[in-house]
Amino acid sequence: MFYRLSGTYHTSYQADRKLWKIPTDRRLVIALLVLALLAPLYVSPLYLGSYVLPWVIWSAAALSLTLLMGLAGQLHFGFAAVMAIGAYASIHLVRAGVPFELALLLSGLIAAVIGAVFGGAALRVKGLYLVMATLAMQYLVDWVVVNIPAISGGAHATLRTPAVSFLFMPIDSLASRYWLALGWAVLLTVFFMNVKRTSFGRALVAIRDKDFAAAVIGVDPFKTKLMAFFTSSFMGGVTGAILAFCFYRAVTPEQFGFNVSIQLVAMVLVGGLGSVIGSWLGAGFVLLAPIFLTNIISALAASGWVPVSQNFLSHLPLMIYGAMIIGFLLLEPLGLAKIYDNIRKYFLVWPFRHARS
Amino acid sequence: MTFLRKLALTTALVAGLSAPVAAEDVKFGLLQDFTAVYTFVTGQYNQGQQDYLALANAEGTLGEGNTVTAIVRDTGNQPQRGIEAYNRAKEEGAILFDFLSTPVSAAILDQAQADKNVVITPAHGRGDASDGTVFPYVFPMMATYWAQAAALIEHMKNTGGLEGKKIAIVHIDSPFGREPGPILQALSEQEGFEFQAFPYASPGNEQSAAWSEVRRYRPDYVLIWGAGGGQAVSVRTAIQNGIAPEQIHSVIWLAETDAANVGPQMKGVKRFEATAAGTDHPIIQRIQEKVIDAGKGSGEAANVGNSYYNLGVATMAVAVEAARLGLETGQPLTGETLKAGFEKIAGYDAEGLMPPVTYTAEDHQGGGAGRVSEWDGEKWVPVSEWHAAYPDLIRQVIEKSAADYKAGH
Repeated sequence: MFYRLSGTYHTSYQADRKLWKIPTDRRLVIALLVLALLAPLYVSPLYLGSYVLPWVIWSAAALSLTLLMGLAGQLHFGFAAVMAIGAYASIHLVRAGVPFELALLLSGLIAAVIGAVFGGAALRVKGLYLVMATLAMQYLVDWVVVNIPAISGGAHATLRTPAVSFLFMPIDSLASRYWLALGWAVLLTVFFMNVKRTSFGRALVAIRDKDFAAAVIGVDPFKTKLMAFFTSSFMGGVTGAILAFCFYRAVTPEQFGFNVSIQLVAMVLVGGLGSVIGSWLGAGFVLLAPIFLTNIISALAASGWVPVSQNFLSHLPLMIYGAMIIGFLLLEPLGLAKIYDNIRKYFLVWPFRHARS
Repeated sequence: MTFLRKLALTTALVAGLSAPVAAEDVKFGLLQDFTAVYTFVTGQYNQGQQDYLALANAEGTLGEGNTVTAIVRDTGNQPQRGIEAYNRAKEEGAILFDFLSTPVSAAILDQAQADKNVVITPAHGRGDASDGTVFPYVFPMMATYWAQAAALIEHMKNTGGLEGKKIAIVHIDSPFGREPGPILQALSEQEGFEFQAFPYASPGNEQSAAWSEVRRYRPDYVLIWGAGGGQAVSVRTAIQNGIAPEQIHSVIWLAETDAANVGPQMKGVKRFEATAAGTDHPIIQRIQEKVIDAGKGSGEAANVGNSYYNLGVATMAVAVEAARLGLETGQPLTGETLKAGFEKIAGYDAEGLMPPVTYTAEDHQGGGAGRVSEWDGEKWVPVSEWHAAYPDLIRQVIEKSAADYKAGH
């Protein structure tokens, strides 16, 4: 009924190669995009600044990480460090007089180069051993940032972002910061969907599934793995810069600590490895669920429904949150993206029962 | 009797209704970290804050009909959650914020300044925020880490002299751990002692590497600069390495819990304190009587009088005093009038719970006084008087750092 799939057949290669093959999907995406673009007009500053904006930026971060973890199958537990490199590089570049647009690109490049150097470990080790190597990157970058005052910004290790403009639009008001972040996240989304259809994307998937089998069919594991780290770190570095300039506007080392890396991994896993919509849903869940839960529980406590101590009150949302993650993963190990996919498939042929996929 | 009481009540009601100034509910946002890094202090600290606000409401400290409400939320020490909590509390009308978290405070400082909301950073946060000309809406309100370091050094000077002595500073490897560095540098030249820093990795559950270095250095005094579980580890490892408890001087974050974790060896360890510990103070006694005994306490009654509990009480005592002075002008209380209220506070000492503080438009630290106390096996006993150590030097460091901050934007 919603999708009206019967009657939509692809009669040309062009139609079959579209990003969104089903007209309803296309219309849905356009409607969401328009809604997202107009968000500053109808979303209150509280929700735009504290919910939508961080969600958009963390979705971009999750997309960057899922390229590496989902498509190429290389585990990375130090991705916050990659973002830190981008954030600090962009601020120092802008302070040195580089235009913001160029600084964004350069900070991405710096993060990509450093990320690819550490990614070199992936040429030798896999799985848990690679996790250890990327953890080393997290701690090394943390240590360098904290211990070099020229990077961290002096005694209090707080670095404020200078005033900048992007393509003549001053990045100052909440709306402009949101639009810039949204633009980057949309760009990454479109890029990710297209990467999956290129020879590079197929090479990544081949490496993920079995790297020496990929080598046998002519995919160079050395080059492909380094490219995966380079691309993903570039995306992560620019996202870090966007996070610094559009959201925090004052950068401290704690914003890119180990726990943030774990949060990013959680976003990718809860959302669904290698999935675009999963990155958005996962980022939204991991980022916003604790906030919503805290507010709901506090409201219940204020009205006398949960008569408990402040300490327990603060831990209650975390317990529910943990239970929700376990629950979702038990219900659907492939993540939120798969849950969405199941619902979509059900409605594809609704009111009939069997989906063609 | 009943009739009389009814009559009195009705008269009071009518009087209340016809009063020219509408009753105001002042809201404070206590958006702290209950679940991640600062758990060692937040529970007791926040309990003290909430209990003092309950006492202020019970006693009508803010004047007729006015009340003060706390908005309490957990931020988990995550800046993005802090930003959400701040924006929400701001919409609910909060005009004073206490985050008790360095990363969250840092992320919100600029926004709060732009919104003209008061942020208090008692005993934590940026030291240079004491410069009210650069940070008009931030109040460190008590001795900053710099003033704490100076107070401890001065105590060493008064008890055993400093000329030619060696001080080891054993600190957590973070910006917080490095805070006393500039003060030690400046004072070592002035007082003729030498010092060396021995960092240990965060969170400090394992420090033996640092302390065996300290042992080789043979210090006369030891400064420990950490927080939470790492503090008890510091004291224990120090004693294992042959350092006498009397030589150990700690930053403000050393409390009854740490003493319980270290055990009887702890006797003789000294720490800086910005507020008195124990229940032997008029405000704490009244809290016990009117809040705890009345069943309105916000947590375990056993915590009342603990160091961090009393610290929380003192912060809210000062904040409520500022609100009272702000309301006295007859204007509705906003961030701006609350700031003005703070700057009217002169010589306020929360009935002896803390050293007298005076805030001015320039000095938001309130003088930076404190004292040193020693663990006697059961409780903290003060071993010096309330006063500010090396105030001119501290002021210089504050102004220099604040100027750097201003230039960096």
